[in-house]
Amino acid sequence: MEENEHSIIRAVLSGDKEAYGALVVRHSQAVFRVAFRITRDEADAEDVVQEAFLLGYRKLASFESRSKFSTWIYRIAVNCALSLKSKRKPEAAYQIAEDADAAQHQVQAADTADPERLLHSQEIGALRVRAMQELTVTEHTAFVLRHMEDRTTEEIAATLHIAPNAAKQAVFRAVQKLRRSLAPLKVTA
Amino acid sequence: MNHLTEEQLIEHYYAESPQSTRIDRHLRECSECAETYAALRNDLDAIEPITAPARTALHGEQVWQSIRNFVPAYEQKQRGFWRRFSNQRALSFATACALLIAVAFFAGRQWENYQRPPQVQTAENNRTRQPIVLVVLGDHLGRSERLLVALKHGDSAESTALVKAEAQDLLSANRFYRESAAKSGDAAFAAALDRLERVLVEIANEPDDASPARLAELQKELNTDGLLFEVRVLRSHVQDEQKEQQPAAVRTLGVLI
Repeated sequence: MEENEHSIIRAVLSGDKEAYGALVVRHSQAVFRVAFRITRDEADAEDVVQEAFLLGYRKLASFESRSKFSTWIYRIAVNCALSLKSKRKPEAAYQIAEDADAAQHQVQAADTADPERLLHSQEIGALRVRAMQELTVTEHTAFVLRHMEDRTTEEIAATLHIAPNAAKQAVFRAVQKLRRSLAPLKVTA
Repeated sequence: MNHLTEEQLIEHYYAESPQSTRIDRHLRECSECAETYAALRNDLDAIEPITAPARTALHGEQVWQSIRNFVPAYEQKQRGFWRRFSNQRALSFATACALLIAVAFFAGRQWENYQRPPQVQTAENNRTRQPIVLVVLGDHLGRSERLLVALKHGDSAESTALVKAEAQDLLSANRFYRESAAKSGDAAFAAALDRLERVLVEIANEPDDASPARLAELQKELNTDGLLFEVRVLRSHVQDEQKEQQPAAVRTLGVLI
């Protein structure tokens, strides 16, 4: 597949623009998934997908044939998602409050519906959302890439343009903060 | 071996520890560390991955269709062609080309002198067309982008009034840019500005007491999300061009006055 992708890239660089469509089709789902995990917003994730592939096309000449296109476009997508998140920062505070309220509302609704297990799982969900929002952007992204996307420390470091040790520390801090935030659940469980 | 630190345990959980055999052995021997590790594992196992909404099988195709008009084809490389020539053949080919160009140039000059009637130089002839400064166009697209974002998120009567006022303000400038883009033959750019103009006209003509719900409805009808993306792309093109042309800072994308 890798060889095939390299030949597609060569075709694009030789003037066959339509060949790039095959790469978009092949990787759009993975790019959308990571974009959504970082932005937590469907429309934003779609914007990131478009922007990442557009940027990927423009920078295709700088793509090194030693690397994999999937890794390369993935990195571009993560950075597009981060840049979008940083642009939306002032709105994020509002969003956090809104999400927390929604989570609380869910818990209350479940309370009246009574099944204890459902209530507990919703409490966990609400707390988890809040806990994730308390992480810094780097911690959040490093944790998403490590825990949910199964990326190695080296890959995280390369994606976020930071040193491997800084990537490792970001994951540690994220885990510690999440455990602290989720600790009340263990007491009530 | 001392007790394991939380960092070592986290590293071990993600299978990235360089001493995994030693840590495994220690966890078998030390009940305290084994307990701490079990708690960590429980906590992390409980954090499930965020599930992204499902996309259809056509998702990739839709993404490609949404961006394909914004990407120019790369110029074909001529390396294979040149490789076929030996040095000597290439040299004779280049000489022949140079000779042909020189002859064509000389013949052209002669023909031009013969054909052209004497021309009177006027102030009008001397006037050079001034390109619009890229910064101005970038600013126009930036304002349009902010307007479309505000339209998307506007949820109060004040924001509706602001969006309307801004649309009225942008309208005449947008019309001017569109017309000059069309005149200079930049059809794609003119078409994008035309779509923007239609949205601006609709918003500007809304009644003063239009509700946020009405604007939301308008937003859906006019597919402003697609337009927002288009405007972002145009703005990024303009910015790229701006960078390329510095310090001249003049635009050549097709809009001229």
